[in-house]
Amino acid sequence: MNLVRRRRLAVFGLTAPAYLWLALTILLPLSAMLFFSFLTQAPFGGRQAELTLGQYGAFLDKAFYRTLAWRSLELGFYVTLGCVAIGYPAALALAKYVKGRWREALFLLIVLPFWSNALVRTFSWTMVLRGDGLVDRMVQAVFPGAPSFGLLFTYPAIVVGLVHSFVPYMILTCYISLQAIDDSLIEAARSLGASAWAVFRRVVLPLSLPGLYAGVVLIFVPAIGSFMEPRILGGPAGIMLGTVIEDQFTVVFNWPLGAALSFILLAIVLAILALAYPLLRRNLQVA
Amino acid sequence: MSETKGRSRAPTIAIVAAIVVAAAVAAYVLLRPSAPGELHVLNWQGYGTDEAWAVALFEERHGVKVIHDNFNSEQEMLTKLRTSPGTYDVVLINSAFTEQAVAEGVLQPIDSAKIANFADLSPALRDSPRFNIDGKLYGVAWVWGVTSFAYNTDKIASPPDSIETLWDPQYAGRIGWRDDAVESVSLAAIATGQDMNHPADLDKVREKLRALKPQIKTFWSSEDEWNKHFTAGDFDIAVYWSGSAARSKKAFNLPVAFVIPKEGAIGWFDGLSIAKDAPNPAAAHAFIGFMVSPEFYVRWDNEVGAPASANAAANNQLPADAFNRVVLGDAAALERLQFMAPLTDEERAKYLEIWEETKTYFAQ
Amino acid sequence: MRRGWAWAIKGYLAVVLGFLYLPIAVMMVMAFNQSSLYELPVRFDTVWFEALARNDRLLRASLNSVLLALANTVVATVLGTMAALAFARYRFRGRTLLQLLLFPPITIPWLIIGTSMLVLFFWIGIGRGLHAMLLGHVALSLPYVIVVVGARLKSFGPALEEAAATLGASPWQTFWRVSAPVMAPGVVAAALFAFAVSFDQFVISYFLAAPGVSTLPVEIYSAIRKGFTPEINAVSTIIILVSMGIMLLVARFYRFGGER
Repeated sequence: MNLVRRRRLAVFGLTAPAYLWLALTILLPLSAMLFFSFLTQAPFGGRQAELTLGQYGAFLDKAFYRTLAWRSLELGFYVTLGCVAIGYPAALALAKYVKGRWREALFLLIVLPFWSNALVRTFSWTMVLRGDGLVDRMVQAVFPGAPSFGLLFTYPAIVVGLVHSFVPYMILTCYISLQAIDDSLIEAARSLGASAWAVFRRVVLPLSLPGLYAGVVLIFVPAIGSFMEPRILGGPAGIMLGTVIEDQFTVVFNWPLGAALSFILLAIVLAILALAYPLLRRNLQVA
Repeated sequence: MSETKGRSRAPTIAIVAAIVVAAAVAAYVLLRPSAPGELHVLNWQGYGTDEAWAVALFEERHGVKVIHDNFNSEQEMLTKLRTSPGTYDVVLINSAFTEQAVAEGVLQPIDSAKIANFADLSPALRDSPRFNIDGKLYGVAWVWGVTSFAYNTDKIASPPDSIETLWDPQYAGRIGWRDDAVESVSLAAIATGQDMNHPADLDKVREKLRALKPQIKTFWSSEDEWNKHFTAGDFDIAVYWSGSAARSKKAFNLPVAFVIPKEGAIGWFDGLSIAKDAPNPAAAHAFIGFMVSPEFYVRWDNEVGAPASANAAANNQLPADAFNRVVLGDAAALERLQFMAPLTDEERAKYLEIWEETKTYFAQ
Repeated sequence: MRRGWAWAIKGYLAVVLGFLYLPIAVMMVMAFNQSSLYELPVRFDTVWFEALARNDRLLRASLNSVLLALANTVVATVLGTMAALAFARYRFRGRTLLQLLLFPPITIPWLIIGTSMLVLFFWIGIGRGLHAMLLGHVALSLPYVIVVVGARLKSFGPALEEAAATLGASPWQTFWRVSAPVMAPGVVAAALFAFAVSFDQFVISYFLAAPGVSTLPVEIYSAIRKGFTPEINAVSTIIILVSMGIMLLVARFYRFGGER
């Protein structure tokens, strides 16, 4: 067998299993879902379903679906912003200012919360944030008679919960990028007379953009579709497109509407990613 | 590269081997078929059928292992029945859903002769058209109750008697509500004097629901959540179920009182049904008979607190001051109840849409 | 000034860690609190750990979670490493397309993936259950594995392998004695990632769980909706302590913090 043939076989053999798996579990289901979104009802249990554009039409008809889509996007934005604001400086500190064993230890500590269950963490937040919860009691201890902070069941509580869940992703991706920046580049810049701020702005920040973008993508998307944290932490403020989509599958048997809303959400996400694609392509390399 | 030089590969191999072995064990354990002599019950969690002492009693008497699975919504219950034929035996189905389950072909007829204590069930529930479809019995009336509201007796001195209390500005920000579309539409319908199952004027219902915006502090979706919010003082008045109010009072010692307002409230009754391809129908019939027996019911209500039993004889065996006898024994109050009826998928979807629109309005 | 900066940085990192661990600390404290309604002040009691030992359901769900995560780790790591090797060591047409196809599992909200898997699996008869969940978890883990292993392979270019080939090693020998040790830290890191993704995965498991067979996150969600008992805090505490232990063990053998 000649070399080219052998190489092609090798590539095929190496990639086929993984991609066949992805085809069965991601591409096919999404296609099925797309088909469902054009039906009048779910074709199970003796129901007759017909093709219709009505499910998508509902999004255009009812203003509140659009309001919800916007709320979800807004939430994704605030959560991502929070993660960048908290996570990037932490990654920078860890990558450039902490050395040796400390760095390893801190890195592990930051990764460890991945292993605690997200739901339990979210529920623990309710104890911390509720009126008369931990935050309140601490404030009372320092300023007796202060009004109740009662953050629970408000929008900010959702943001806090989601930021807490996702900030390790940001720290991780930014850390990987920042750590790869050769210290000698920074030294060179310093020796050429650049101030610390200039070094950051013109050397460190641009070189760490890949990590930043990767983090943004890894956080923005799940945040938009979240339904668990809004339900548990948000109370009446916890209604998002994600919770409404979940309802179509768990409260009523309206899978077609759930499918249509999911694809609308997906289209919005893809549109945003497409707009950012030139930036992403330049800075994100998979392998 | 220095960290790989001189380091043995033994740890890597050991870890990989351990993982492979563990995975093999996993496959074996998980793919093993289940043993015979089992009874599968599908119900809400903590709703009577899974009381440890009851399960132990039944298992001992009939030599079957009782295995429970739970659902968090009626829709989930239907989905589980639809997508897992041949798995469940006994299913708890709210009478408003039995018809739909039968139409979908997920239930089998029940032989009432095999149900102990069947004759003692109150005729209104036992022979209800909800359970008797096409001349066959598809559900055995088990418990019934009322959805209305409960209040904190420590904080509110005079007992409220009107459903308008929930809309009363003096309780703004102190109301708890259940995040359920059908229930919300029903309560708003009752408050606007309409048929709660098929309200004629949905716009009025919408308006009434939107008027709740300043009132509701938070939603709750389980008894446990209700208790936690109540204890923390998140709300003083909240929509609640009669059986759960009994439990909160008895088992958790909370200062709770339940109200059936003069305008009316939501009545419901649950039945025990048998799934179509039930693996163990004989045990299923025996289990249902046990559940409607006074022996089970009286102990359940006394120890834990329960909704009212469909078995009038069982109810009468409760102590005179029991919640169920006092609150639900009031005949005049019962006249005011509207009972949940079956709804079409379209109606449910419509009510869900109204409720989601309302919640979006609340959040803005 | 330098001194001040150092303190500020350490202080900031401490605050961030405090934020990350606050709910975990609360959870662990509540695991030992006697009250079931989370009343404060805390009264120390191990009653919830005892209840956990008797809670068959929760134990079985935890076991399912662990076993599922192990199965997921093996499959995803093997498949993902193979694909990463292809990307790192070969140039071929369609490479970019395949790389793009790794985005959907990460960029599509899990809610949509979970519900669409439910729809398809039910339609074609795969149904729900641990096998369905395994299909879903591996799909979610693959992109992470490929990226992590790929990053490792990229930073240690093909030079070593080419050198080995020049010195007369067969492809098999090259793989076992050069590529594998080089890849190992990346593979282990990817495996840990895959385990974490599966173990904590809630959304997909929620929609694909079969009656009577569920995983820990699904049980917890059920419990939160229907009646949360502190046994859940107890089991979570155990899990986090165990994983801390495993992490420390692995860290002794491999470095993730970077070589510099």
